[in-house]
Amino acid sequence: MSKATRHTDTPATSIKIFHGPQHPGVTGNMSMELDLDGETIVKAVTHVGYLHRGFEKLVERRTLIQAFTIVCRICVPEPDPNEENFARGIEELAGLEISERAKFIRVMVLELARLQAHYLWLAGQGGSIGHEVVPQWAVGERDFILDLFEALSGGRVYHMYIYPGGVKRDLPEGLLERLSDLLDRLEQRLPEYDRVFFDNAAVRKRLQNVGVVDADEAIVNGYCGPVLRGCGIARDVRRDAPYLVYDQLEFDIPTETGCDAYARALVRRAEMYQSIRILRQVIARMPPGEFQCKLPRHHKFRLPKAETYVQTESARGAFGYFMAGDGTEYLRRLQVRGPSIVHGFTLLEPLLVGAQLSDVALIMNSLGICPPEIER
Amino acid sequence: MAWTPDVKGLIQPFTALKSSVEQPYTLNYPVEKRQDVTGYRGFHVNSLALCVGCGNCQEICMNEAIDMVEATGEINPKNASGLVPRIDYGRCCWCGLCTDVCGPDSLRMEGDYTYVSADADSFLYMPKDR
Repeated sequence: MSKATRHTDTPATSIKIFHGPQHPGVTGNMSMELDLDGETIVKAVTHVGYLHRGFEKLVERRTLIQAFTIVCRICVPEPDPNEENFARGIEELAGLEISERAKFIRVMVLELARLQAHYLWLAGQGGSIGHEVVPQWAVGERDFILDLFEALSGGRVYHMYIYPGGVKRDLPEGLLERLSDLLDRLEQRLPEYDRVFFDNAAVRKRLQNVGVVDADEAIVNGYCGPVLRGCGIARDVRRDAPYLVYDQLEFDIPTETGCDAYARALVRRAEMYQSIRILRQVIARMPPGEFQCKLPRHHKFRLPKAETYVQTESARGAFGYFMAGDGTEYLRRLQVRGPSIVHGFTLLEPLLVGAQLSDVALIMNSLGICPPEIER
Repeated sequence: MAWTPDVKGLIQPFTALKSSVEQPYTLNYPVEKRQDVTGYRGFHVNSLALCVGCGNCQEICMNEAIDMVEATGEINPKNASGLVPRIDYGRCCWCGLCTDVCGPDSLRMEGDYTYVSADADSFLYMPKDR
């Protein structure tokens, strides 16, 4: 049977099913309209719209300080890159200079967020192939990280901590020691994940040669994050356009050349080690000083008529915000460019054609698709 | 295609079995309870002896979850309006902006986060006086 594209009809013998909107492949609600020939997919069309909350428009109607509490909700598994983008965009537009301490604290939050997002991905990837041990472990380890977030910001998932002009609170006493102990524990545990998951013959059988991305199209189509690095291309915003203090920190950009789901899994595994390495440097070099600069009162905080584009490397790839001020206390325009927009449409639809039905959740999870950032 | 068995990859995963003799990491609820976290963004409390009824919390709330209502009980003599915040927990997103702008630091968030009631109107929550 010939393969169909989004714009062509499928043969009359195919069966159409809806995969989702609730399913283990993604954190959020997104469905795939699949045409099947037996177990093989001949056509896949993405359907979004189950989560649209109009974030970009909501932000335009709220003052800058009020809007800061909305942006973190654009991505549930990893809200902090949104907060960082929003805060850094406002700082660039308003000409605010943040302290060294605030920069280090932000790097700490972003790397912890990356680490917990990778654990959540590990749980999802394990769940999507019927592996029952690793998801339990990964969610458990993630909870230890969330405990730290709770002590730091008062919230476990949505932190609302990275604030224009710095961060909302200073580090509580003993947090860096707790973080150091946790990193020791996590690093000690990671080889167990290798034995049970990454080197597991059954896992390799399921992940290898599944969801193979064409490396030649990767740059042209705008893939990013582990998808791009899984194609052997070492692109990372932290290295290519350093922000905060990433240019002062030592870390590697891990790459794999397999282009398949297993390569992306190995990239994420290596990134977990790199995040731990960065966090250790942050603990050793955390400077004293102010954590927040002086801001105007919230209804007098106005941005000049200017625009900017800021980027942060999230666990799933480059996360960009276009922000434009118009001289008032509101943003004239906020445009969110999350990695899932490309991965969820341009990449996923052709990638699923020819795949098996049982691999759909696996492939979606491996691409790290997060529907809320598609329909923001 | 010849199949070469990955013996190591087949045997190694069974090392997870050693976890079955480890103690659980979870708490034995309700015998054991979580320690309170300082600075947790749970339910609001409002010290009526400090609240001046200025309405800053109502003004900054981006969800319009806060109404200023007539206070009952003894209030701060400087509270000229006689109003105190009441929070609609159907709208609140626990961002904590209201506590940030509170001048006399009367409105705070504390560790309580469980609430059960058969009356849906009680979601219009009057912060405890603490």
